[in-house]
Amino acid sequence: MRGIIALWVMVGGLVLSSWPGYSQRDPNARCLLECHANPELKREIAPGQFKSLYVDYEQFKGSVHRDKLCVDCHTDVTAIPHQRRPEQIHCLQCHYQGNVVGAPVSERPEKYKESAHGKASKRGDPNAPDCKNCHTVHTVRAHTDPISPVYRANIPKTCGSCHIEIYTEYVESVHGQALRNNILESAVCSDCHREHDLFPPDDPRSSLHPQNVANTCARCHTDVKIMERRGVPVKQVEAFKRSFHGIAIEFGILRSANCISCHDYHNILSSRDPRSPIYPLNLATTCGQCHPNAGQNVARGRFHIIPSDPDAGIVFWVYEFYRWLTMVMTAGFIFYIVLDLYGRWRHARRGAHG
Amino acid sequence: MPNEQMQELREARTIERINLQLRVQHFALMVSVTLLILTGLALLYRDSAFGRLLIALEGGFEARGTIHRVAAGLLMATVFYHLLYILFSREGHEEFMQMLLTVQDFKDYGAALLYGLGVRAEEPQLDRYSYREKFQYWAFALFVVIMIVSGFILWFHNWFFGLLPKWAFDVALAVHSGTGTLILLVLTLWHFYLVHLSPGRFPIDWSFWNGKISEKRLQEEHPLEYQRLKEKGLL
Repeated sequence: MRGIIALWVMVGGLVLSSWPGYSQRDPNARCLLECHANPELKREIAPGQFKSLYVDYEQFKGSVHRDKLCVDCHTDVTAIPHQRRPEQIHCLQCHYQGNVVGAPVSERPEKYKESAHGKASKRGDPNAPDCKNCHTVHTVRAHTDPISPVYRANIPKTCGSCHIEIYTEYVESVHGQALRNNILESAVCSDCHREHDLFPPDDPRSSLHPQNVANTCARCHTDVKIMERRGVPVKQVEAFKRSFHGIAIEFGILRSANCISCHDYHNILSSRDPRSPIYPLNLATTCGQCHPNAGQNVARGRFHIIPSDPDAGIVFWVYEFYRWLTMVMTAGFIFYIVLDLYGRWRHARRGAHG
Repeated sequence: MPNEQMQELREARTIERINLQLRVQHFALMVSVTLLILTGLALLYRDSAFGRLLIALEGGFEARGTIHRVAAGLLMATVFYHLLYILFSREGHEEFMQMLLTVQDFKDYGAALLYGLGVRAEEPQLDRYSYREKFQYWAFALFVVIMIVSGFILWFHNWFFGLLPKWAFDVALAVHSGTGTLILLVLTLWHFYLVHLSPGRFPIDWSFWNGKISEKRLQEEHPLEYQRLKEKGLL
């Protein structure tokens, strides 16, 4: 009898050791051997509703936590098989200031708590994401890892798993299209919205508060290198800040237009695209949102001009004319004053002598 | 009478050279243009400490705009009143006719320059309104028209959107700020020098307030007017 059992254990051991992903010597082997390597393993969380308890160990070994034990996080599992359902774990179990296991710490979890997602989560919104929704559970990877859900190219899909409609708008936009063409410097969700410190636009701390929108776009759109590579003009943000709209925004008149009022946001399109709000034929409607009398006239002229820049066309020449006139007149007046004083002085001297 | 006593008397004796009508119009112009310049400069220099101080003094960004437009209203009312005055009042019309530019003004201007340089020995003989007053008057008339037209386009841009192309608003803005700067320049370097800062007037000439000029200065600066008044027996 004993021999038969021993034989079975040997056969089982051989089979298990040939399973992909882990060896018998792996300290995590018991969790997997007993249950969690079984793709069918699941728990009924509600009548007819199941939650998979399977752990893809091969994926886990590719994660940043590859050297950790299951029980490093699932600390309440003291015997295998565990008798009770383990408590939900939290990243902050390890990722806190002064932890002894060497888990990297940043201010991001604190920022998250203040963010729109963190606030919703605190309110008890079941759809609010926390760490695991973006970083995954057992397969957390660095943002530089191309298969990480927080890798640049994957961020839109990650956010899009909840924000589906926005995702479909985004993929059509210039930014989405560029990203699809592997242009990684194109803007992804987190470039504009931030990630951990993501606030609703009416919050003054938000990167998308009306007063911050131009600076958010400016993070890329004033970068000469990126814009030259992509053939996009680079002076737009500066010109905006000098315009009526930009000045009004700067001084707190939030109803004034900012970048997204005209360019839209998730589905930003080139001015050459007839679907774009800044396509010349659509400008009357776009400006008309705030200026009811706007007609086709608004398309006749250049946008985002800096008067001192020759690209400004007629405005540049008007500006130059005034610049020269001002200089010439200043010189003329000073000349007149000097001459007048000199004349008076000579007159007085002659008067004194004569 | 000894000459010295005569001199003193002529310095003390003043005549009202500028009537109340013109003084009131000038005062309204002065107040409105000062406000317009201060509120305009605040916007032009918004990025500097000077501009921010002005904006703060003017009660904030939106109050600054309101003051600018109220002052513009005062300026336009003054201009309108002035037009009525020179068109429909005999007195105003006569003043205006003397203000018209003639070839003599340019000759006088050239002569004054030559006198300053020492080429000419004699100062040109000037009338009630010389090239100085006329050049200032007409320069300001032109400036005010430019500022009212460009300012109107900017103020009522929503209405003008149906009428003008986009570039016209950009041009209006460039013209408005460019002319505004010129006005400040003409006022400080020319007008202020001529009326307040030049020797004999410094630090201030109160004639803008009481309209008075001494007989001595009238003879020096407006000899033709002096002669005419003397002939009429008005002195």
